[in-house]
Amino acid sequence: MIAAVNSVLGQRITGGLLPQVEFDVDDQGVTSADPIFPPIWEIGLQTIAFAVIFWLIWKFGGPPIKKYYAGRTERIQREMDAAIAAKTEAEAEAARIRTSLGDIEAEREQIKAEAREQAASMLTEGRARLEVEVAELEERAVAEIASIAGRSGDELRGEITRHASRAVDVVVAESIDEAVHQQLIEDFISRVGSSGASAGTNGPGSTGA
Amino acid sequence: MTIDDNRIEGYARALFEVARADGTLDEVEDELFRFARSYESSETLRTTLADEGIPAGKRQAIVEDLLGDSATPTTVQLISMVVGSGRASDLVAIVDALVQRASSAKNLEVAEVRSAVPLTDDQQARLKAAVANATGKQVNLKVVVDPSVVGGLVATVGDTVIDGTVRTKVEQLKARL
Repeated sequence: MIAAVNSVLGQRITGGLLPQVEFDVDDQGVTSADPIFPPIWEIGLQTIAFAVIFWLIWKFGGPPIKKYYAGRTERIQREMDAAIAAKTEAEAEAARIRTSLGDIEAEREQIKAEAREQAASMLTEGRARLEVEVAELEERAVAEIASIAGRSGDELRGEITRHASRAVDVVVAESIDEAVHQQLIEDFISRVGSSGASAGTNGPGSTGA
Repeated sequence: MTIDDNRIEGYARALFEVARADGTLDEVEDELFRFARSYESSETLRTTLADEGIPAGKRQAIVEDLLGDSATPTTVQLISMVVGSGRASDLVAIVDALVQRASSAKNLEVAEVRSAVPLTDDQQARLKAAVANATGKQVNLKVVVDPSVVGGLVATVGDTVIDGTVRTKVEQLKARL
């Protein structure tokens, strides 16, 4: 059993290049060879094999590995340089932004100041215009009130006159009876007769008798 | 003087001559004058007698019915003649010209007196004398009853007006109001 295992292990390790080792097993199952230290020839043989393998690896695998690491170092260095450049550019951009922010702030303050000034000016002008308009409205209202009052007065006077005229007509018509008619006629004749040749001849128009 | 004035004067002269030949000049003149004043104050009468759409015979019949026995036949015939000849619109002017002509023929000035009530003969005589005294002219007094004067009298002699009417006093009072 053990011999079979060693055989398999020996083939895997050496690739079938090493000679097969035979162990003698006694009746108790123990081999006559040293179970810890292999025989010297085996050690020498494996050292040579190791040296050969090491040389092969160093010969054929070393340059690509060196090249790989050199490229990796270069790439890292390039990325670091790019990162430094980006950082520098970002700092410059940040400085510009800060400057721009400062300019914007100043401009905003200036705009606010101008707006405040303009608003104050508009307020002043608006108040002045409003005062003028209010004064004009008051003046117009006073004139209109006076006009309405005048019209009302005129209408009232007209109405009174119309009523008075009607009253005069009615009173006069009712107060003149036959006796009054005769008295008026007699008065007229007397006055015209006593007025003389030149009296009551004032030309066209009315001459009271 | 216009053609119309000449025509009016012609009619007045014709009426004057007819009335004088008939020997009723004073009466006819007075009746014509009073009819003219009534005609002047009545729009319905003016419109009817001056309406060319109404046959002349019908308009003349209206005049005869209107005056009837209240005027002399000469007066009725003269007015009828003027209306029939289509000169009704000039009737007042023709009559006034006739009255003026009649007064001038007697060296009188026409004095038109308007009164709200009729005047008695005595009042007319005294008024005639008073007006003559006031104007210094002999007058041919023509009295018109005109209720619009309300009371009193107004006399017009030529261009002179002597106004003693209540209407004028009321108008003056209204003007002061």
